[in-house]
Amino acid sequence: MSFERIKPHLPWITLLVLVLVVGAADSNFLRPSNLISMAADIVPLFIMALGMTFAIYIGGIDLSAQSVANMTTVVATIALPTFGIGAALICILAGVVLGGVSGFVTTRLFVPSFISTLAVGGIAFSAAQYMSGQRALFMDASLRDSTFGWMTGSLAGIPSELFIAAALVLGAWFLQSRTTFGRALKAVGAGEPAAVASGLNVNRIKIMAFALSGGLAAIAGLLFAVKLSGGSPTLANGFLLPAIVAVLVGGTPLTGGVGGVINTLIGTLIVAVIRSSMLYFEVDATQQQMVFGLILIVAIALTIDRTKLRVVK
Amino acid sequence: MYELINVDKKFPGVHALKSVDFKIGRGEIVGLVGENGAGKSTLMKVIYGAHQPDGGDITIDGTKVRFQNPRQAMDHGIGMVFQEQSLITNLTVMENIFLGFEQQFVSYGVINWKAMAEAARKQLAKVKLDIDPGTTTSKLSFAQRQLVELAKVLTLEERIDGDLVILLDEPTSVLAKEEVELLFSLVRELTKRASFIFVSHRMDEVLDLSDRIYVMKDGEVVDVVAHDDANVDAIQHKMVGRDVDKEYYREQKQKPYQVEAKPLVAFQNVTATGKYSDISFDLRPGEVLCLVGTEGSGREAILRTIFGLETPSAGAVSIKGVPVSKFNAQVGVANGVGYIPRERKVEGIVAGMSVYENMTLSQMGNYANSGVLRIGEEKTLARRWIDRLAIKTPDVYKDCGGLSGGNQQKVVLAKWRSAGSDIILLDHPTRGLDIGAKEDVYDMVREMSDDGVGIILVADTLEEAIGLSHTIIVLKDGNAQKRFDCSPGDKPSLYDLVHHMI
Repeated sequence: MSFERIKPHLPWITLLVLVLVVGAADSNFLRPSNLISMAADIVPLFIMALGMTFAIYIGGIDLSAQSVANMTTVVATIALPTFGIGAALICILAGVVLGGVSGFVTTRLFVPSFISTLAVGGIAFSAAQYMSGQRALFMDASLRDSTFGWMTGSLAGIPSELFIAAALVLGAWFLQSRTTFGRALKAVGAGEPAAVASGLNVNRIKIMAFALSGGLAAIAGLLFAVKLSGGSPTLANGFLLPAIVAVLVGGTPLTGGVGGVINTLIGTLIVAVIRSSMLYFEVDATQQQMVFGLILIVAIALTIDRTKLRVVK
Repeated sequence: MYELINVDKKFPGVHALKSVDFKIGRGEIVGLVGENGAGKSTLMKVIYGAHQPDGGDITIDGTKVRFQNPRQAMDHGIGMVFQEQSLITNLTVMENIFLGFEQQFVSYGVINWKAMAEAARKQLAKVKLDIDPGTTTSKLSFAQRQLVELAKVLTLEERIDGDLVILLDEPTSVLAKEEVELLFSLVRELTKRASFIFVSHRMDEVLDLSDRIYVMKDGEVVDVVAHDDANVDAIQHKMVGRDVDKEYYREQKQKPYQVEAKPLVAFQNVTATGKYSDISFDLRPGEVLCLVGTEGSGREAILRTIFGLETPSAGAVSIKGVPVSKFNAQVGVANGVGYIPRERKVEGIVAGMSVYENMTLSQMGNYANSGVLRIGEEKTLARRWIDRLAIKTPDVYKDCGGLSGGNQQKVVLAKWRSAGSDIILLDHPTRGLDIGAKEDVYDMVREMSDDGVGIILVADTLEEAIGLSHTIIVLKDGNAQKRFDCSPGDKPSLYDLVHHMI
């Protein structure tokens, strides 16, 4: 059994091993209530990672996701009193537009996505600072509960966030595996020249992938704002690295074309387990990004398809 | 002094060199000619150490040597002047000349630029190039760069003991006539310092310069001719060699095309700057039109224009009577153009996607309701075409990247044919395929013709071009040289074509 054959199964094996190891060390870990609350906590990160999956699936990356989510927390808080539920639409629209801009810059101006999304992220972050006056803003509690209470409540003992996450992952999975758009994404990720030579509108597909990533980052921000009942330009800081880690350890390599949203679901769960095990092993919060940074390096080195790379810069 | 004895080289599916003997003496200029795919470049690569032979020996002055890489070959005095210029254009001339060998000018970790410039000037004098070694390479003309490359290789003279062998791969392809003469007189003078192996498509140049000429065909040296006995016709005859088997190219199945029908593709004085100029032709239903020419003669660019990947700068292109105003692949596909590219694994199939996903990639809209795919129908289509073209695959889910070359090619053909494309562009459709798979492709060409599909072919060999086509247009340097009608039994000979190609 060669490594190449095991590779597609590595993510869930890793998850299983981690759960067993942490479960053996910490007897509380495997209690259903703990598992459910752990899963609910990770939902905003999962939604961001879900969006990121589309950007990485086509062989790009979306470094603006965290800033877009930051901006959304501010936009949601400001828009809530005036627009009510419409605030959600405004947020998603803003995310889609910013993602679309990244896509446009990447495909039409030939700027690699890691730079175009970094720049768009800078714009989003600055917009958040400007709109918030660099202060943390708070939502009116009653208004929040009447408008977005359904996001944070629970049904039959299961937090609503998990239903939201399930709906989004089902939708994303359908998009990826059952639609022409999903098939085109795969073709662009796995073999862009052949996709061009088959007459696909590759630029449009890429722009849509980035728009989708932006839109999902915005939903992540919205949910986060509702959970924390407020917004600030730094609220979602610390999300970017774990989101990328979730996609990569899930088995969608930076070179794109394989993996997908289900992989990201597994990857996010791996991140969740690592995160809660760090609490158990008393890793200081300030050190967590170090761990994620190291995992990211290992995950990239393991998953990347070197035959697709000629020169690494 | 330098000799290859019984050298053999195999690649998966190809026997690239078959027991080749090759010899070059001190101060000799040896020419190497052959068609594309005859094994010239493999032989060159073996000589300068980029490939290791599977069998046979390489000897220098009778001593056996084995090179693991070009650097080791260089240490034995074998240098290569590359066809695609290998200079780094944003470095200075002297930096290029001593790239990788700067150590000799370093003291205390710092490069002594003056010493390097002095040494570079000495090298440039060898090739009679009077330029400042500190000039940025991008400022030089192509001819000057070619000489700098030669000067770079000549640094071997100081670095190693023993004789030099210098390979010149198509050194004249970018040069004007006077520049070529200059280069040749220089090379003749330099035979005091080195021996040369000279590869060129231009037969007259090879004849002019070489002391002896090796003629290659199908991985074998079929003849060695001395300068004085050389005769262009005889060499060309040897190059293209063997009698063409009419059966092999399905000539008996060639039916006349619909001369009176409306053309599928019409070119009127079409030019793409730098690629081809003033090309006119009509492609009619059932016709196989073959574009013949050497690499870079504009064949591929014409194909890419029809498909929409290349925008012409002048002239009128119309497809099925409708002028094409916008050139991109989406328009091409919508017009019923199917493109079977030369780079099968890069542009033909998507490795990592299954057989059925590949087959519907260009026509997903036909298998979807408002964006949602009808995957069952896709698989049915794939199964039908797997049967029809006898594609060897365990099932429709198999990763296309894991199929053999011939079966990948069939998948690409099925992709276009199942979508109803009636203009098919074939760019080297049989490249890298074994004989059986080639014959399958020839059968498919005839079947498509019978169905009224118009085919434009850039063939892998001249025999293939002649065997398959109704019409041949010979191109040279982007210009149409001659048009041949090729009805069965009345086909032009190889020599007719070669005559107009080079």
